[in-house]
Amino acid sequence: MSVITIDVIDREGSRHEVPWEQDQVLMEALRDNDLPVLASCGGSASCATCHVFLPEDVYPTLPERSEDEIELVEEAPGFRPTQSRLSCQVHYADRFDGMTVTLAPEED
Amino acid sequence: MAEFDMILDDINPEDIDLPVVIIGAGHAGVQVAAGLRTRGWTGGIVLVDEEGGLPYERPPLSKDVLGPDETAEGGPLLRKDAFYASKDITRLAGVRVGSIDRGRRVVALDDGQELAYHRLVIASGARGRRLTVPGHDLSGVLSLRTAADALAVRGELVPGARVVIIGAGYIGMEVAAAATKRGCDVTVLEFQDRVMKRVTSEPVSEFYQQLHRSKGVRFAFGAAVSAIEGEGRVERVLTADGRSYPADVVVAGIGVIPNQELAEAAGIACRDGILVDEACRTSDPAVYAAGDVTRFISTFGGAEMRLECLQNAQQQADVVADTIMGRTPREAEVPWFWTVQFDVRLQTAGVMHPDDDIVLRGDPATGKFSVCYLREDSLAAIDTVGSLADFRQGKKLIAAGTFMDRTALADPAVRLEDCVLETAKIAA
Repeated sequence: MSVITIDVIDREGSRHEVPWEQDQVLMEALRDNDLPVLASCGGSASCATCHVFLPEDVYPTLPERSEDEIELVEEAPGFRPTQSRLSCQVHYADRFDGMTVTLAPEED
Repeated sequence: MAEFDMILDDINPEDIDLPVVIIGAGHAGVQVAAGLRTRGWTGGIVLVDEEGGLPYERPPLSKDVLGPDETAEGGPLLRKDAFYASKDITRLAGVRVGSIDRGRRVVALDDGQELAYHRLVIASGARGRRLTVPGHDLSGVLSLRTAADALAVRGELVPGARVVIIGAGYIGMEVAAAATKRGCDVTVLEFQDRVMKRVTSEPVSEFYQQLHRSKGVRFAFGAAVSAIEGEGRVERVLTADGRSYPADVVVAGIGVIPNQELAEAAGIACRDGILVDEACRTSDPAVYAAGDVTRFISTFGGAEMRLECLQNAQQQADVVADTIMGRTPREAEVPWFWTVQFDVRLQTAGVMHPDDDIVLRGDPATGKFSVCYLREDSLAAIDTVGSLADFRQGKKLIAAGTFMDRTALADPAVRLEDCVLETAKIAA
């Protein structure tokens, strides 16, 4: 199974190298490597606790957000139109190797 | 606190080498195990699961797993197989705990093994309440709680099958939708006068009844099931008013019973659920409980309750992990729930009470509306259909206890977060 490595910047600004395996969505790679991603709906696009910022050049290459994801992410703190995604909706691709993912702020 | 600390200080220093033993590998149990590692627990972790396979998600069992073309052999996994070994979490699957000896801090497994614990976490969940009417044990009478249950139900939902569902709660309604999509002929029997009455108000019930009816589901309200009949296998369901409903399969969704027996037998305080405090401690300070099996005082509204939902399981699990590690748990999240029926999602924040005043936002006929539940002018709960924006804003307003302006609330064009009373704005 393929594994890539991504850089993750946590909410304190620290950088972590995180392995991302082919059969994981991004949320699972983050959560299973002990990053503070609550994922309180278990990955069903029902909350926004796995909100991340993707690089501006990667964002447009992803499939578009579903209606549910749009509503959730637009209401999430720190929403960035050209970077915000729910990481439970981001599937693995080899081309993400080396990309930097930033955890979005938590809800107040 | 002080007396708990004193008791805990009595632990034999050797015991710190003992593991945290977790009974149950649903969302709560797995989250405690994972959460302890995230927080830096270096001792042993043993997860005892009476089910045989890998721990899985339950919400999809009554939704996607019953989908028309679905072939999945159960719910999606909570964590991948390799996760447990990589986090040094010992999984004992297909093993039941027989008893808890609190004096010796040992649990006895059915296979004769004994496990000593440093801390014990009971996350044994709940089980579906069983029908007790004559004929309840006929073949073809099912309930839905585990992956095995879901596969059994799916196997029966063949095109043309006459499916009678007993109970119009979340599970009954989700199964009704799934069965209809699979081409079954579906009748829902409900003792109350509308669907999902325990958890929602009339406009939402009415909306979902109409949705289901438009897809061919029939409802009988005020229906008290008196017997199930058939020769070896279910053929019909009888109700107290003398009606008879032909059935090839019956699915009962009539609530759950907390799996508290182990705790009860060990002398841990229970009352329709294992009683826990705000740190998820039971009456024995070395024993915690989390998830559907617990009964606790809500941070929101102060009522004593059991909450059967994923959010509560995850949150209590995090509280347990924090408390075992000596950390202060984060502030409680407003409870929230969701159901999906015929692809229409109802998402609820907070826990409504039948005495709450309700304000309808938007026209249900548009498929996009919310119902606000007001208690002394504060938002206590909100149901949202097609409006996750209201859901997210509502959740924050519930947490803040802000006074709301009823006139503004009734206008869906006003953002929910702008519907606060002027006096509340000034105070803020």
